[in-house]
Amino acid sequence: MNPDETLPKLLRKRAEEYGNRKIAMREKKLGIWEEYTWSEYYRKVKYFSLGLLSLGLKKGDNVAILGENKPEWFWAELAAQAVGAIVVGIFTDCLPSEVMFYLSHSDSKIVVAYDQEQIDKILEIKDSLPLLEKVIFWDPKGLWNYKDPILMSFDNVLGLGEDYEKENTGVYEKHVDRGNSDDIAVLCYTSGTTGEPKAAMLSHHNLISNARGWFDADRFKDTEDYVSFVPPAWITEQLLGIACSLLSGFNVNFPEEPETVQENICEIGSHILFYGPRLWENLNRMVQSKIMDSSFMRRFLYNLFLKVAYRIVEEGRNKTNANLIWKILNYLGYWIVFRPLRNKLGLLRVRVAYLGGAAISPDVIKYFQAIGVNIKQLYGGSEQGIVSMHRDNQIKPHSSGTVMPQVEVHFSSEGEIMVRGVSVFKGYYKNEKATKEKMKDGWFLTGDFGYIDDDGHLIVIDRMDDVSELADGQKFSPQYVEVRLRFSPFIKDCLVLGGPHRRFVGLLVNMDIQNVGLWAEKRHINYTTFIDLSQKAQVIELIKQEIIKVNQTLPEWNQVRRFINLQKEFDADEAELTRTRKLRRTFVEERFKDLIQAVYSDQDEIMVETPILYRDGRKGFVKTNIFITNVWEKKS
Amino acid sequence: MEKQLKTILKLEDLNLSFGSLSALLNVNFEVKQNQILSIIGPNGAGKTCILNCINGFYRPNRGRIFFEEKDITRLSSPKIAKLGIARTFQNIQLFIGMTTVENLMAARHIHLKPSPLAAAIFFGWERKKEIKHRRIVEEIIDFLDLEPYRKKVVGTLAYGLRKRIDLARALALEPELLLLDEPMAGMNTEEKEDMTRFILDIYELRKISIILVEHDMGVVMDISERIIVMDFGHKIADGAPKEIKRNPKVLKAYLGEKD
Repeated sequence: MNPDETLPKLLRKRAEEYGNRKIAMREKKLGIWEEYTWSEYYRKVKYFSLGLLSLGLKKGDNVAILGENKPEWFWAELAAQAVGAIVVGIFTDCLPSEVMFYLSHSDSKIVVAYDQEQIDKILEIKDSLPLLEKVIFWDPKGLWNYKDPILMSFDNVLGLGEDYEKENTGVYEKHVDRGNSDDIAVLCYTSGTTGEPKAAMLSHHNLISNARGWFDADRFKDTEDYVSFVPPAWITEQLLGIACSLLSGFNVNFPEEPETVQENICEIGSHILFYGPRLWENLNRMVQSKIMDSSFMRRFLYNLFLKVAYRIVEEGRNKTNANLIWKILNYLGYWIVFRPLRNKLGLLRVRVAYLGGAAISPDVIKYFQAIGVNIKQLYGGSEQGIVSMHRDNQIKPHSSGTVMPQVEVHFSSEGEIMVRGVSVFKGYYKNEKATKEKMKDGWFLTGDFGYIDDDGHLIVIDRMDDVSELADGQKFSPQYVEVRLRFSPFIKDCLVLGGPHRRFVGLLVNMDIQNVGLWAEKRHINYTTFIDLSQKAQVIELIKQEIIKVNQTLPEWNQVRRFINLQKEFDADEAELTRTRKLRRTFVEERFKDLIQAVYSDQDEIMVETPILYRDGRKGFVKTNIFITNVWEKKS
Repeated sequence: MEKQLKTILKLEDLNLSFGSLSALLNVNFEVKQNQILSIIGPNGAGKTCILNCINGFYRPNRGRIFFEEKDITRLSSPKIAKLGIARTFQNIQLFIGMTTVENLMAARHIHLKPSPLAAAIFFGWERKKEIKHRRIVEEIIDFLDLEPYRKKVVGTLAYGLRKRIDLARALALEPELLLLDEPMAGMNTEEKEDMTRFILDIYELRKISIILVEHDMGVVMDISERIIVMDFGHKIADGAPKEIKRNPKVLKAYLGEKD
């Protein structure tokens, strides 16, 4: 590849190639899909970039972006990178204290933020951020009466850029020319399942070469549509939404609101799609609960054709040929059930759909394969980029696919996955020590435990730190059990317990209030709150049956023996989950330590007090009896 | 600090009775331009009666109402709406079988002046007009964050949302004076916060006057510039939130009095 390639240079190339003849982006605004051509895209980036220059932004400065997926995010990112600045992406649902951490740790000089909600967060903390010079917003709604001089609108910056251009013609092009592929393009904060987030520095070379590997594998066409809603603060959107779109020229579509994503995906009929594991799980859960709620005939047809579809996929995987009757049935199933179903889910035109970022149950992959979605699993991370992915017609639900061409994978003696290659990051920002710990002789230590199977597929089992053992020395992976349990429509989340000082596997369950509620309603079980429903004998029995189903697929020592159906949901705002909805294991174990102790005692009941903060500042406690249930009777 | 703005609405000696029951007795007050005025009082104090008189549902027995110096006391409701007074209702008044967008387009009817023939073939000017009105409706949808419910049938939506759509419907009339009858009733805290923000946004951006009838004292004290207190058809107090909080008559009406 060209050693001088940067993202702004790629944009210039695409704009020269397509000009006004092809659209680059669509955004739903006031109910209409508005289009931007490549020339317009280029102009917005250029003038915003010049605007930033005139505000005093220099090469090596950091610019934070805090907002939903909108064209402005892309423009701001490329504009900052064009002057050699580094982009720091922040998740929109972060609390002010978290935003504070990211902004101060990254030494950001300028923040580009979406709307009133985000601006309010920044204004709340700006006094403790001495380096912060300017806050730029792109949605003025509700901000009409904000008079703080640190604020400036996106359009005003574009205006500044246009003025700047008149006095300094050609200065944007010069800056872009000066860009080097080894310059740092973005800081991606790790999700921080363990401790404080660290910022991985990724160069243009990292992003572009990694994206090129992805592009080569799936040959995105410039006529295809992609709906961008994975947070751009995440490496995936940096690679797929930004780098791949600049490489291939496919259309990036931005949803109207986070709540309308599903509807917007249906309208666009996206060809390329990336959902996190939680979203695929939720989609599957939604279908299951709708089917539960539908008429007998529909349930019958759905179940019948699903069986057929599973069989066809299985035969395909084993490279055997299904007989004609099955094929005819499958064809009927496509027209009667799966085509309309996929249409409803916005998956009808999908040519390739991805999932990645966390572990998922193979059952979910099998399900979507059965209904005809070309679903592929990716394995990667902020530091190592995309390491492996499924290729067409070689999809094994248990694996994370084959290793990318520009990346090498190795295993330590303990089985830890080590990665080397173009996609591996340049180190952590302001954290030499952590960088040294994670880099060994040019190999990045992922902290994941895994192996490569006979077909050359990478199998990722769990985090090294999470692979646990029981008192009798049996090794097991909590995550392996958790993802399988989460396939149940009634279990939203769960925490599998174990460890060298514990005799058996225990479990904390977070039921899915919507589906369990629906189930209870149909059986005329009255309930008031989440707490109340969670401790109903029938509900506990329901969860128990779901656990037994999973237990049957597990070796005996790995089976769940006792569980608690928790009285509250895990919540990212209470730090029990990360912003990408991964469980923070140690934190949760600490928080629920009384309950966990009860799981490993002989008690059948425990009284817990849940603190409640009233609006007038008073504090109170709600006392609840929580039941501990045996799934597995001890053999005497 | 009273703004030196022109009076948009003026009530003079308003009296309303149903048979021998007096609902309003000599009520006088003025609403200035770009002001949020709240009317509070116990149940049956006559708050909604005032709104009903203003927008022509009730005919006062005595007294006069002026809107922008025009006497509107004897005008019919549709005519008053055309002059620029819109309201929301305590019991939401929407077409529950229609979608949000259809409800809002229907609310635009006072601004639509179609020629039947052109409208029937949806051609030329009519088409442009429809687009123009749809745009205004879409701006209101954006303003009140109703995008996810644009094409949902109103009857299937939650109560708090319907209240918001009812507000959107009133806004679609592009009024100069907005009457809000208990917009927060029956809402949870989060919905109330949203609604308060929307009301303030309307007031700030559109520079219109608002008369708010509301029971939630927190909201009323926070956002009103002026408060009128009603009790058994009498206006017992009129002033800034701070004064009202200290007014002995108000405390008596609300909390009762020791014998």
